[in-house]
Parts: sequence; structure tokens; C-alpha cells
Amino acid sequence: MMMTGAYPSVVVRVTCALLSPFIAMFGLYIIAHGHYGPGGGFAGGVFVAAGAILPRLTLPEELSYSLFPRWIGPATGGVGLLLFLLVGLAPMLVGAEFLDYGAVEIAGMAASRVRYLGILVVEVGVGLAVFGAMLMIFDVLTLRDDDA
Amino acid sequence: MIVALDVILFLILLATAVLALQVKDLLAAVSLLAGYSLFAALLFAGVSAVDVALVEAALGAGVTGVLFIAAILATARRSDAPSDRRRRLIVLPLIVAFVALMLFASTGLPDRGDPDAPAQLGVSQTYLTDSLADTETPNVVTSLLADYRSLDTLGETMVIVTAALSAALVLARRGEIPVWPQRRGGTDPGDDGGTDPAAPAGTPVTGSSGTADPGGHVTTSSPTPDAPTEAHGGTDPEERP
Repeated sequence: MMMTGAYPSVVVRVTCALLSPFIAMFGLYIIAHGHYGPGGGFAGGVFVAAGAILPRLTLPEELSYSLFPRWIGPATGGVGLLLFLLVGLAPMLVGAEFLDYGAVEIAGMAASRVRYLGILVVEVGVGLAVFGAMLMIFDVLTLRDDDA
Repeated sequence: MIVALDVILFLILLATAVLALQVKDLLAAVSLLAGYSLFAALLFAGVSAVDVALVEAALGAGVTGVLFIAAILATARRSDAPSDRRRRLIVLPLIVAFVALMLFASTGLPDRGDPDAPAQLGVSQTYLTDSLADTETPNVVTSLLADYRSLDTLGETMVIVTAALSAALVLARRGEIPVWPQRRGGTDPGDDGGTDPAAPAGTPVTGSSGTADPGGHVTTSSPTPDAPTEAHGGTDPEERP
């Protein structure tokens, strides 16, 4: 049984090739725009993962796996979680509590602005982690015996 | 929130859930579940929970369906025959009793948006009134999830990454999971095609543009892969779902 690889219909291939960059870009927009609208790292990461999975379902494998190689999933998942943990640990360096970003003092910036930036970094971290996790689950589910 | 629309959506939701349990073809069940998630997302949006609706639509109606289909392709497409009647005689009354208990308990819940509800009397008032001044974030849900209650979000993120790692540990039976870019001398074109420029398959696509730019690939890929992929599709049309 094959799930990845080129789909026989050219209509499906072209449609998915045209759509998937925009789906991924919409996910990036949701991550970056979480302060002002619905969404955030969680939903945005899922959308970016959908933009990465769609080429795997429909395009030739040598193309889709060079766009988003297999190592991207585990690597971004770990990096995202690490980013979140580091942002949580940063306030502890100045004597505040875990994840209390407002305690970090940045020159010329109000505490509320620092918390705003902390939220942004956390959203990016969650987005990376969710993207990596989704891509990784898909990759191990579609792993064939001759792949590795 | 329009009550008639909500009732219609809820009835469709129930119908998709019951049908997903009834059908024997698991592929149809997955499609029904995706529809269920879509209508659930519409219901969430109807009660102004747009953040939840967005996640439900993206995850439930989108990626989860793909993951389920991948799991079906890796296992079997038909579900087993229904179990014997005696088990159903025990299970059905249990379900009915549980639903009746939940409905009875729901009569004790406060109304939605009731200002005197216990959930509105605690710390949530402070979150709602001070969120903009504290964090400069207009979306209270985001400031709650990523600032006030970021420990919860950290836990959720850990759960997701752990779930993915566990899936990899269970499912990657004898192959290794590539966790870092690897250069290897293998000639399998489907594996790490990007790191192996000398892939033997006739690929004008990867040869013409070596960058990882999605837009560039889109323009080059749409006209070119006819010959190799039609041949590819002709070999295994029955293997596609």
C-alpha cells in the first residue's frame, strides 16, 4: 500500500502543488497573528504541517521529500519544545519564577511589552513543536520497509 | 448564536457520529469523522469559541483524517464483524444510563454567560480586565494560553511531542528515524532525495532548481512530471485509495 508519491491525476497534482504553499503561509500568519485574532501556535503549526504533508500525498517523492526532508519533523519538534523551555527558564536567571516573562527587564521596554514578546516566542515554539510532531507522526505512519 | 441553526448542526453532528460507528468501511468512517469535526468546529464558532473552532477544523477535520488514512493503509480497511448480541445488551443500557446521568447533571450547570457562575467569580475577572494592560495582547485567549497559564500550554506541547516520539518508537520497526540531515550513499530516490543530488531517477524537477523554494518548485513541477509520473501511476493504480 502506498500513500506518498505522485498521484495519478494531473489535476490533483497541480491543485495540491499550487495550494500547499498558501496553506503553509496561512499557518505562519496564524502563528504570528495570534495576539490579535483567533489561533496561535497550535492551530498555525497544524496548518503548516498540512502544507508540508499535502506535497507528500500528491507530488513525486524526490520532490516532496526534498522540500521537507524526513529529519525536519523530529528536529523542529525538539527545537520548538526547547525554545519554549528556554523562554520559561530565562526569568529564573534574574530571580523570578518559571515562565514569568514580565520579570525580565529589557532596556527601553515596558514589562507588558516584554510579556508580549514572550507570548510571541512561546507561540512560535508551540508552532514549531506541533508542526514537527504532526510531520513526524505522518512520516512514521507512512514509513515503508524499503525506506530505511 | 441562532438556535435553529445550532439544532440542525447538532443533529448533523449526531448523524455523522452514529454513521461513523455503523459503517464497515473504515475509509468511509474516517471521512465521516472529518465531517463530524467540521460540524463540531461550526458549533464552536457558533458559541464564539473561534480559537477552539480553528484548532478543531485544522486538526480534527484536516490532519487527523490524513493520519487515520495512513494508519488504514498500513493495516486493514474493513472493520471486524459486529460482536455478539449479548455484549450489545450490556453496553447499550450502560450508554443510555451514562447519557441520562450527563443530561441530569447538565441541568445543574449555570447558564452560558451567566455573570454569577462560579467560573466568572474567581481569578478570570482579573484576567479579562487586566489582560490588555498586562500583556498588550487584545486576544485574551492568547494571553491566557501563552502567559497567565503558559505552564498548561507547556504541558500540552510536551504531550504532543512525546506522543509523536512514542509513535515513532512503536512504528519504526526496523528502520532508523532520521533525526538529522544524513548523507548516505544509497541510491533509493524516495529516501532523502534532497541530500542526494545524484539520484538515478530521471528527475528534471529536482535537477532544474536545487533550492528549497516552494514557489519555484510549483512552477517547474506542474508541467514536467507527466512522463515519469504517468508511468508511475500506471504501475499501481489499484494501490491508491
